[in-house]
Amino acid sequence: MNQSNYDVIVIGAGFGGPVAARLCAQAGLSVLLLERGAEVGDKIISGLTIPFYGFVFGPDFIREGNPPIERPVDGIINYILTDIENGRMEIEDTLRVPAPFSPVVAFGYNAYCKPFCQWLAQKAVDAGARLRTSVVVSDFLYENGRIAGVITDGGERISAKIVLNAEGSQGLLAVKAGVREKYPPDTISLADVYDYEMDKADVDRIFGHSLRFCWGWDEQKIAPPLGRGNGLMVWPYRGSLHFMQDQCIRKDDGPVYNLKKALATYHKNVTEKLPWWRDEVAPKVKLRARMWDGFEIFVGLNEKLRDMPNYTDGMLLIGDVAGLENTELCDGVPTAWFSGEIAARVAIEAIQKKDFSASFLKKYSDQVRAHPIIHWSVRARNRYNLRFAQEKHELAELKRCIHEGWGLGAFGHTSSALVKTALPMIQEDPAVIGQWVRLFLRYYYNWHHERFDYNCKKPLVPKRPPTPSRVLALSLKAMDLGLKAASPFLSRTAGTLLPKAQNADRFMQKVLPTAEPIYLAALKATDPLARRLGEAFLKALVNMDPTALDGDSTERSRQ
Amino acid sequence: MSRKNEAIPGVDWVAGAGRFVSVKKSLCTGCGDCVKVCLGGCFEIRDGKARVKTLSTCMECASCWYACSQDAVSFRWPKGGCGFRTNWG
Repeated sequence: MNQSNYDVIVIGAGFGGPVAARLCAQAGLSVLLLERGAEVGDKIISGLTIPFYGFVFGPDFIREGNPPIERPVDGIINYILTDIENGRMEIEDTLRVPAPFSPVVAFGYNAYCKPFCQWLAQKAVDAGARLRTSVVVSDFLYENGRIAGVITDGGERISAKIVLNAEGSQGLLAVKAGVREKYPPDTISLADVYDYEMDKADVDRIFGHSLRFCWGWDEQKIAPPLGRGNGLMVWPYRGSLHFMQDQCIRKDDGPVYNLKKALATYHKNVTEKLPWWRDEVAPKVKLRARMWDGFEIFVGLNEKLRDMPNYTDGMLLIGDVAGLENTELCDGVPTAWFSGEIAARVAIEAIQKKDFSASFLKKYSDQVRAHPIIHWSVRARNRYNLRFAQEKHELAELKRCIHEGWGLGAFGHTSSALVKTALPMIQEDPAVIGQWVRLFLRYYYNWHHERFDYNCKKPLVPKRPPTPSRVLALSLKAMDLGLKAASPFLSRTAGTLLPKAQNADRFMQKVLPTAEPIYLAALKATDPLARRLGEAFLKALVNMDPTALDGDSTERSRQ
Repeated sequence: MSRKNEAIPGVDWVAGAGRFVSVKKSLCTGCGDCVKVCLGGCFEIRDGKARVKTLSTCMECASCWYACSQDAVSFRWPKGGCGFRTNWG
């Protein structure tokens, strides 16, 4: 017999829902997590790099956990196709973690959505949440004008003190409840995704740890016209590639595009004309899956849409359904995690105070809109502005947009958000720096050994390797002692710097024009030595005892 | 029970989804926007109006619902546990 009354109902076991479910369950609330697929992850489609700031600044249990990742990413190579018929292109690859830090210090982590979301949902279940799959929420229960539960497609009525809605970008329920409008087609991009199998050795050799983006002129029909969509992206996974091309359903108030025809043409042209795909990749890959889905890429750039409510009496909207897509990176995962965490905090407080009114829940909206990274994510304009450079064939302007979006120039508009998010965490507890260092080391170790919670191929606590490298373990211990000793100083310093954090963007904009060429030249000069150092470092890392890398909350019981 | 489609590898369609997408004929102008955005080829124009030809290749992206300026396309989720599923998203 299914329970019919919960403290919290979470709709959707994607990326945001399970975070909210776990945190509410950890606080002792009764939580029901509902998923419409037969299995968690059945319905989620993406080409997925989760940027580092999601892991670094997101929920503790992800930072300290061992989720299944497909490959650490050290940066982006942008190919600017100026003449595809003759294979001419320019390359912008300044946004890259350099040796010896690459690929351990990662720009982000590639992942398949399904195993990652299953990992998140299992974390929610471990904390006490109840997960039910194959359940579609078709409507809400109302009590005195406020949402007080859900009605399922099977006619079941389940009541709750508060509903956390993480249903995804379509927002059928949010629209039905009158919380927000349907997104217009010029904000929605249809992503056409291909999954190709490729031997890991070939992925390592051809792609290494870098994403590849392609940008070009409209009439080349090689990458979807920018601004009307985006570019073309290729993600290297462990033993496969994810290939995504996407295009907005229409541009501004223009006509709806024939996406069926356009996306088929782009894919044909790319696979047959792009030299590195045609010559290097094509002979090594086998198509495994073809999928597509829409996402709300440009919702945040429209002030009216951006200011649409993300709460109502008895309900909060999390992630995509609240329009929290990162316009620059086409990524909604960190913003889903951040908003899921904020939603859980507000829901817990609402339950304690027995106040589920919109006037109380407004604090959720205030905190989401004040989050520095969410604020930056939904407003960045480089991807949107590319359309103008493209239409006019302005190569210099196109290169500027790419440099500022996916090159070193990105620091000119992301630094303040990152610093403003990092400093309060350091101020609160400088030991978080140790967690960040361990996160990068452990995630690489986990990727190398396929050591993940629940389904790891190697146990979380392995037999010691014959000659474990102790250098790194000892260094980490020394780091912990140093952080402990310097804790009051670090906390005070973070507090002092915080009011100045908003100047970080301006500082980077000033410094980058001079510093960038020097930095790039220095990297080039030191590269051979840095690579040797990096190789030695990797060898030590993969041979160490991983228990020294685990966070306090790492669960070892389920292996 | 689930079905596959050779042209769209890596995806299964679980039976029992119901008619979760439909076109209200009284609102449809026959503009064909739903046909243009559907990568699954689920729509066709017949007698000047759009109609759902099949949902056996629908990936539930809702592009048809977004694209229709007349609100003639009605879209809801298929029955729980039914419709498309994939391991490779």
